[in-house]
Amino acid sequence: MALRELPFRAASALCREVRPVVHAARPSLRRNASAGASHDVEHSSSLTVPPLSKDLVQNFDPIARSRQRRQGKKQLPASRYQYRSPKYYRGPLHPHQPPPPSDPASREFQPGPFSLPRLEQTYQSTIAADILTLTYQHYPPGYRPPKVENRLREWTGASPYFKNRPLRGPRGRGEELRLLHEPRTFRNIPKISRVTVHSFVPEAQENSAHLHVAGMILQAVSNVRATAHKARHNVVGWGLREGKYVAVTSHMEREDAHHFMAKLVDVVLPRIKEWKGVPGSSGDGAGNMSFGLTPQQVALFPEIEVNYDAYPPKMIPGMHITIHTDATNNKDARLLLQAIGLPFYGKLND
Amino acid sequence: MNAGHQTTRRLAAKAGTPICRSCRDTLSRSYASAAAAAVQTDGQAAQLIPPVAQASTQTSYGINTGVVLSRPPQITRDLHPFESAFFLYQRRLNERSALPFTRYFYYKDRTPADREWKRKIKQRLTPARDIGRYKGYGEEAWNDEVLIGAKESDFNWQVERLLEDAETTGLEDQPAEAVSSAVTPKKVEHEAVERPMSRITEADEKNDVKSLNRALQRTLYLLVKDKEGRWMFPQDRLQKETLKEAAYRILEYSAGVNMNTWVVGNVPIGHYQHNYTKALKTGAGLDEVGLKTFFMKVRIMAGQANLKENQFDLKDFKWLAKDEIQKEVEEDYWRQIKNMLAER
Repeated sequence: MALRELPFRAASALCREVRPVVHAARPSLRRNASAGASHDVEHSSSLTVPPLSKDLVQNFDPIARSRQRRQGKKQLPASRYQYRSPKYYRGPLHPHQPPPPSDPASREFQPGPFSLPRLEQTYQSTIAADILTLTYQHYPPGYRPPKVENRLREWTGASPYFKNRPLRGPRGRGEELRLLHEPRTFRNIPKISRVTVHSFVPEAQENSAHLHVAGMILQAVSNVRATAHKARHNVVGWGLREGKYVAVTSHMEREDAHHFMAKLVDVVLPRIKEWKGVPGSSGDGAGNMSFGLTPQQVALFPEIEVNYDAYPPKMIPGMHITIHTDATNNKDARLLLQAIGLPFYGKLND
Repeated sequence: MNAGHQTTRRLAAKAGTPICRSCRDTLSRSYASAAAAAVQTDGQAAQLIPPVAQASTQTSYGINTGVVLSRPPQITRDLHPFESAFFLYQRRLNERSALPFTRYFYYKDRTPADREWKRKIKQRLTPARDIGRYKGYGEEAWNDEVLIGAKESDFNWQVERLLEDAETTGLEDQPAEAVSSAVTPKKVEHEAVERPMSRITEADEKNDVKSLNRALQRTLYLLVKDKEGRWMFPQDRLQKETLKEAAYRILEYSAGVNMNTWVVGNVPIGHYQHNYTKALKTGAGLDEVGLKTFFMKVRIMAGQANLKENQFDLKDFKWLAKDEIQKEVEEDYWRQIKNMLAER
């Protein structure tokens, strides 16, 4: 009761004086996260240690079991026991909800991944740690980063409509806020997030075969369905007419992107004669690097070489390859790509 | 600084060490910022607070540079059984949902290659070559998963199927008269395909820890035995040079010049602190109470270590993976270096 009358600070001070004794009496219950977790994780996989007896596993025959079960009984019609995902999504309140896309029964299910790419393993074991060491920035203890002033402008004036209005963008027409550069930690090491392959074929306006060939080549090379694009404007100088299909792209992510990069760096680029490298002027300042390949260089991809005759002569297009990375500036993106094995030449765009 | 803070601090001081370090830091920081705000009333940038110089200049630490020379993994790692089972499951599911193989795009009709493909698909009954038989249609299409212990789930079996497909023409299993009677004047000739190299090398079998061809899936680190018989990374006292220059010098003086190396970055990746039982007196009149070793990360590109002409009296060297290092080095050393070594 008396404690309740005392001010808060005095009470907490009293409690604090008692605390060390409690600590001394208590047995050490501290355990490290690493040590504790290792007890919880099973050392053996349930796949390596079959839970069933060997006889049962050897003699298990699903077909025979199902025949035995069906003996003398009439089968239900397939619609009674086969699950089908609803064709249309009718909202969250509908009783018949589609399964998540990761479920093989879902209509949106896409199988994969099929492998663990070698390049991804190299990135995780070697490249990421090296980039972290190379880009480490030391701050002495006690350092506090300078405060970021408000990057957007206030609305100044007497107008009553300025109240609660969202802040103004940077000064100038078409200006955008530049990316923030977070201090480098093990959580934000740049990595390849996406690879885009793009092929512009203006000849497709006269003869659509060019577009089909370009699409087939992109699909063969990238393992991703290609999408065609129309010209948005009339450009007389380039012979473009609005609304005509002129280009194809395909976007690769994760496994496909890693396989494509490995193929490019290990197979295609070394076979190009007198290839100087990726131009150092490449890079958009937000971690994306692009470069181009000529039709002769595109023909060096192993997927195209294997049935080179299937493509009509002189219809193989050149392509632009854009590598999207998590980096927020050109320098870091270039460091990542150099570590993967892409050389750069000329004046660097930093 | 207000009365509440003072009271807290006085009570804290009275109780001995009752508050934890982070709380104490917070307390002192609020003091510092309050003091800074009091001084810099004219709106100067109060952001940069220079590190405070050490109060007692009587003690010091010796500075060493260590070299963590490593060889990165050379091949992909062995997949966990769950991973390989998952990948096989997904590849078989893909067979279910993939578009049919466009034969005419890859083989011209009625060519030897086309005939060979037809023969092979008749035998294999599945377009994919390394996943076994997959039946996605018919009465028993539901029975499409491999059973426990099936040969399809064995990685070597999958590799063998790919090699077999590359080497054979599809005519091998047929009886000889059928082959001769069949009208196949032109045959596709297949040269013998080179087998993939073994993932376990000779050095692995002999457990040759001096070889760089051992443990291709792991990162190997160079460990040396000094004159006291302790295993550690090569190290030496830092002289009037940068850490990077010191790393190159130590490598040359300890493991010889017969190595092509690259020092990763200009900053150390970890440090080891060793306290003496009795302080030493240095030339500058300071008490040297211990030794701090800062480790530089170095990659070996080619060559091999050679201790023949080393200048640090090193007795022996080994190339070891992380878990093997733990068995060799001292407990205290291991505790301080383990977090800078790669798991794989």
